[in-house]
Amino acid sequence: MPPQHLDPTPKPLRWALALLVLTAVGWVVGGLSGSTGWHWPTGSQDVLTWTIRAPRSSGAWLTGALLGLAGAVAQGLFRNPLADPFLLGSSSGAALAVTLAWVVWGAAAPDASAWLMSVGITGAAFMGALLAVLLTVALARGVQHSLRLLLGGVVVSVVLGALTSLLTLQWPQVLANTQGFMLGNTALLSWQSTQVLVAVGLLAWLVAQACARVLDALSLGTEAARSLGLPLNLARWLLIGVVALCTGAAVAQAGLIAFIGLAAPHVVRSWCRVTHAWLITLSALTGGVLLLAADIAARLLMAPNELPVGILTALVGGGYLLWRLQNKSGYAP
Amino acid sequence: MTAALNVKHLGVQWPDTDTPALHEVFATAAPAQWTAIIGPNGAGKSTLLRAVAGLLPLGAQLHGDIEWQGRPINTWSRQALARHVAWLGQGEQGAEEWRALDVVRLGRLPSQTWWPSASDPEDERIVEATMRQTDTWSLRHTPLGSMSGGERQRVRLARVMAVRAKVLLMDEPLANLDPPHQADWLQWIQALTGQGHTVISVLHELNIALRADHIWLVAQGRVLAQGRASDAPMRAAIEAAFDHRISLHPIQDQWVALPQASKHSNLQAD
Amino acid sequence: MRRWLAIGAFVQALHCGALAAPQRIVSLLPSLTETVCVLGACDRLVGVDRYSNWPASVRQLPKMGGGLDPNVEAIVAAKPDLVLVAKSSRVLPRLRALGLHLEVLEPQTHAEMDAAQLRIARLLAVPDSEVERIQQSSNALLAAARDALPAQALDWRVYIEVSDGPYAAAPASFIGETLARLGLANVVADGQGPFPRVSTEWVVAQQPDLIIVGSMGATQLDKRPGWNHLRAVQQQQVCAMSPEQADVLVRAGPRWAEAAQLITQCAMRAANGA
Repeated sequence: MPPQHLDPTPKPLRWALALLVLTAVGWVVGGLSGSTGWHWPTGSQDVLTWTIRAPRSSGAWLTGALLGLAGAVAQGLFRNPLADPFLLGSSSGAALAVTLAWVVWGAAAPDASAWLMSVGITGAAFMGALLAVLLTVALARGVQHSLRLLLGGVVVSVVLGALTSLLTLQWPQVLANTQGFMLGNTALLSWQSTQVLVAVGLLAWLVAQACARVLDALSLGTEAARSLGLPLNLARWLLIGVVALCTGAAVAQAGLIAFIGLAAPHVVRSWCRVTHAWLITLSALTGGVLLLAADIAARLLMAPNELPVGILTALVGGGYLLWRLQNKSGYAP
Repeated sequence: MTAALNVKHLGVQWPDTDTPALHEVFATAAPAQWTAIIGPNGAGKSTLLRAVAGLLPLGAQLHGDIEWQGRPINTWSRQALARHVAWLGQGEQGAEEWRALDVVRLGRLPSQTWWPSASDPEDERIVEATMRQTDTWSLRHTPLGSMSGGERQRVRLARVMAVRAKVLLMDEPLANLDPPHQADWLQWIQALTGQGHTVISVLHELNIALRADHIWLVAQGRVLAQGRASDAPMRAAIEAAFDHRISLHPIQDQWVALPQASKHSNLQAD
Repeated sequence: MRRWLAIGAFVQALHCGALAAPQRIVSLLPSLTETVCVLGACDRLVGVDRYSNWPASVRQLPKMGGGLDPNVEAIVAAKPDLVLVAKSSRVLPRLRALGLHLEVLEPQTHAEMDAAQLRIARLLAVPDSEVERIQQSSNALLAAARDALPAQALDWRVYIEVSDGPYAAAPASFIGETLARLGLANVVADGQGPFPRVSTEWVVAQQPDLIIVGSMGATQLDKRPGWNHLRAVQQQQVCAMSPEQADVLVRAGPRWAEAAQLITQCAMRAANGA
């Protein structure tokens, strides 16, 4: 194997800048186009551009960034390149909470569910996601064993999914709503959602960066990581918290969007070999660009109808992974 | 002079098993010396090394005393112990797509703060020095997955050496190394002990292990004997521990173990 | 030879239950359940699917699973002599193989609904004159609803949202037809299927004059980006339908005239700024 003398250190920065440029381009395109056609803003009060399209594009990018970040963390935490940030059960928790909210809302008297109304579907989804992850950690009896966490996540996903199905069977009028949620929908992203996503994103990024070296060490194995004197337990709790927060916020605002969390770190790793400090940031930026692009495509492909963005991410993400499997050019997944 | 490592009454029990993995182990390792741990398969050598490193899996029950530099192991903070004792595990997997340089840089973690800051030039100097020493500097941008087994092992050794710890614990460090690199390893060890470092290694390669300054003979969860290969009682104990399937012979001032067919073999050709 | 032919015909007739009007009916589609009851044969129902909920008496009947996933054992145990089932049920061949007499109907337009009503009436031995009476009274209700529409509502463009997504009712849907019969315009254009998924952006661009939505959706409307700029939202020309009302509105069943009345009541409330 001929040695590579090129020092790739400047590359991550270059990729980050390229992704930021793509983000800016995407944001402008997303602000000007949509399912009702091309529209130049008529001023600062233009409803279509500033109240609908701009927050939607920003929200889509932020959601993708959160998912990409969570994906990079999950793959490092589980030492598995096929790990998905939803492995800990957050998506099924959110779906169950949302279905339950609709059932209670529909069944109960309006004043009884006043607090539910203030919390909203979004709040319910977020809480459901976090509770599901807590349940997974409880089932795994702590955060020590990756295998137990994965199994716990599978159990929680399956059981909560079954409960959701049961609810929709008993109250079929919520079935369409639940399905809409499961397909992912960026149409409801407002400036309020954007604020929430920014807050969660910054917090998650800071914590993930602090734990980046721990993720690096974990790639050598738990034993070696322990021997390097790192506070593994604390770091694991924090990282699981990061995954839960990111996926919870993303799912609450935009529903279930598959593949971004799984594919974004892979895309980054296929460009440059970086440690987790850069991997986390680049995955976030890549995830944002991917979802923004998918959102724009969802709006334009079948205008004036909009495709659910989750379908597009599955197609594109799945297609990309399939292509990589075929190529295997020096990159071992 | 305080021993670098002192082990007394050490016992290790896995949950749900009757026989303990280690039982009433007594052993010492002197500072600035190389101690080799040898013994038949399943004797508990790796368990012993993990126990003294504080790296037993959670769930294992440990009793007895382990003292590093005269202080009990549980009085050492996690980071202080990590700076004092560097660990190279058996058959370390993972990090296939990482560049050698990044893997070796991980060795500097015990001496760094948590937040990933800009790289310290001192850390970079140490990393380069260890990589040059292990003949891996030219491979620094190569991912581990693209290397041969021997190259990977040398990168891992560089990682251990980059910790610059007083004590190095290594479990099967010669795996995948060809004889020239095994000879190199011996040289590195001798250089390290010459500089005052303590090395404790579990070795399958008896011929290399017999050159150690001090040997722990482990069988069936106990340390049967401690000493040098030059001591006749030690040699007798070694041969006995291996069921007399080996015999030790002096060749050119070194003791060498030669495999021996058993007198009571069932596989005799007729 | 003739004896075998006769026996064959007899068995065939038995098989189709042509000897007498069915007395034990299982219905696996809510609109067909309602049709049976409207024709006055409610007491002959021995089982319904889990989604049938009108009139109140059918809720006491044994539930035979869903329309798409019926409980075959329960159906057979009820010993029905007529099973009303939708085309899209996967269980059709199974039920046929078990020797049950099936009537496959899935009305999706007004014309299909009328035809289904007539077919079921004939199966139940309800005279055609009764069916005519029912249909005439529905038409009369529709005419009354049309007349009661406030004058300004006649120019209105109506947006009916059937579920979260949002999915709108297009002219090709049953409720879309009812709307057209009332003389009201639909924001959704033809040619997109009965329930297209529209974009929230598009609805804002359309600026509907009247919005009809389920009660759960109604509370979330102003959370949708840009929707508080909708004229209809600002002027409170939004009607929230309770789950029972939503059933009446969207189901392609015999209560379509009631649906027309609901729409008119909604328009009256909106015109008065209620």
